[in-house]
Amino acid sequence: MKKKGQIKIQQTIFMIIAVTLLFVLVGLFFLSITLNKLNKEATSLSEKNSLMLVSKLANSPEFSCGDSFGSNRPNCVDFDKIMSLKRNIDSYSELWGVAKIEIRKIYPSTNNASCTNENYPNCNSLKILNKNVKSLPYDSVFIALCRKQASQSGPYDKCELARLMVSSEDRT
Amino acid sequence: MVKHSLQSAGKRKNHRGALEISFGWLFAIIAGAVIIFLAIYISSRIINSSQETVSAETGKEIGILLNPLETSFESSQITSMTIPTETRINNICDDSGTFGRQGIRLDQKSFGKWVETSTDVFFVNKYIFSEGIIEGKKFYIFSKPFSMPFKVADLIYLIPSARQYCFQGAPAEISEEISNLNQNAIATSNCAEDSIKVCFSSSTCDINVNINSKTVTKNRTRLYYSGIGEDDSLMYAAIFSDKEVYECQIKRLVLRLKEITNLYKEKAVLVETAGCDEIIIPYLTEFELVIDSFSNSLNLQELAAKGEEVENINKAGECLTW
Repeated sequence: MKKKGQIKIQQTIFMIIAVTLLFVLVGLFFLSITLNKLNKEATSLSEKNSLMLVSKLANSPEFSCGDSFGSNRPNCVDFDKIMSLKRNIDSYSELWGVAKIEIRKIYPSTNNASCTNENYPNCNSLKILNKNVKSLPYDSVFIALCRKQASQSGPYDKCELARLMVSSEDRT
Repeated sequence: MVKHSLQSAGKRKNHRGALEISFGWLFAIIAGAVIIFLAIYISSRIINSSQETVSAETGKEIGILLNPLETSFESSQITSMTIPTETRINNICDDSGTFGRQGIRLDQKSFGKWVETSTDVFFVNKYIFSEGIIEGKKFYIFSKPFSMPFKVADLIYLIPSARQYCFQGAPAEISEEISNLNQNAIATSNCAEDSIKVCFSSSTCDINVNINSKTVTKNRTRLYYSGIGEDDSLMYAAIFSDKEVYECQIKRLVLRLKEITNLYKEKAVLVETAGCDEIIIPYLTEFELVIDSFSNSLNLQELAAKGEEVENINKAGECLTW
């Protein structure tokens, strides 16, 4: 009789453990689905952010030409200022909430060299912000990339066609 | 003897039966209580976290929607935003770090009660001027560029649609700008009786603006503003926000001004190699010193005076730095 009671208690304990495990597993499954959904939502919002940002980034104070190259015009990026920004990018890394910002010259295309302080302005692309994270495909916009160019008759404004590209972090 | 053994067997039987029933009941009660407690606890946690998620997502979406308000050559922009449920927007400003941070926390109404959340969504490149807490379903978003003397940022003024600001006695250029916005939230005529009166020529209204001393007085507090030329973006900022938000956002703007000044200084050095005579560099260094000594909105006029001087040097230069 005593043994039968013990077996019953053991059965009950096993059942409690099994039920608890079931609840834990169901909870974990639910949690992973929720987290996955949240990550997808966060990535989708980041993507939306980069899409909205790219169209206006060229007009932000760190990029825009202002009146440096004649009257104020939209989608004009000051290449000289961008080179200074590149040198100070550590301070700016969190300002726009994106993972990568790059500028690529389209016309006239000279070479494929990435811009450095040494080869500027004879270069084709400039990685302004390049966080070491998994990122989404770039969103881009066409811009006028302007700078001061030396000549025998004095400095003049030189503008080239380029693409400003922005990519946000992929959290999935 | 037989009677005695029957009695003891009956006692044993009763005793064993009582044990079996009590264990079963005990197990059912404990397990049931635990399951019910866990179910209630988990479901309340799920409801809370889903409210937090909705609040965070909506906050982030609001921030993203503010991106198109970045101005290029236009002097101001206005748009509206409607949230499906009654929402309370907490304007959080943090002036620590390189640029400080703009935070938004949303509390939404659920079954007629405000559900407070604790998830703050932060943006580094946004400057929202509003009261600390504003509520409603529809909000007007008005933005203007702030320059000192070069463009520093776009200021965003957040106004609940239920509130109307009535500008009385405003100078012609301000009245014209407000009329051009063509929105009911900011008006110069046909004002509602319960509208917030903003006066430029008297000191008896809800908000009083003194253009000569560049001050905005409301709720017995005085906010100082300044601007170069026709830049009145900080005047609107002082009108639409409370003292804490205003002072904090001003500090954040000055932090950004400092970083951009440094960019222009480095740019000036770079364009010297292209043949530009950059006399502006020492003036920008002096400007940086004024920026470093900035502590609150009282210093804005000194900052604007120095900014104006730097602007004149820039305009006089061979190559415009901005």
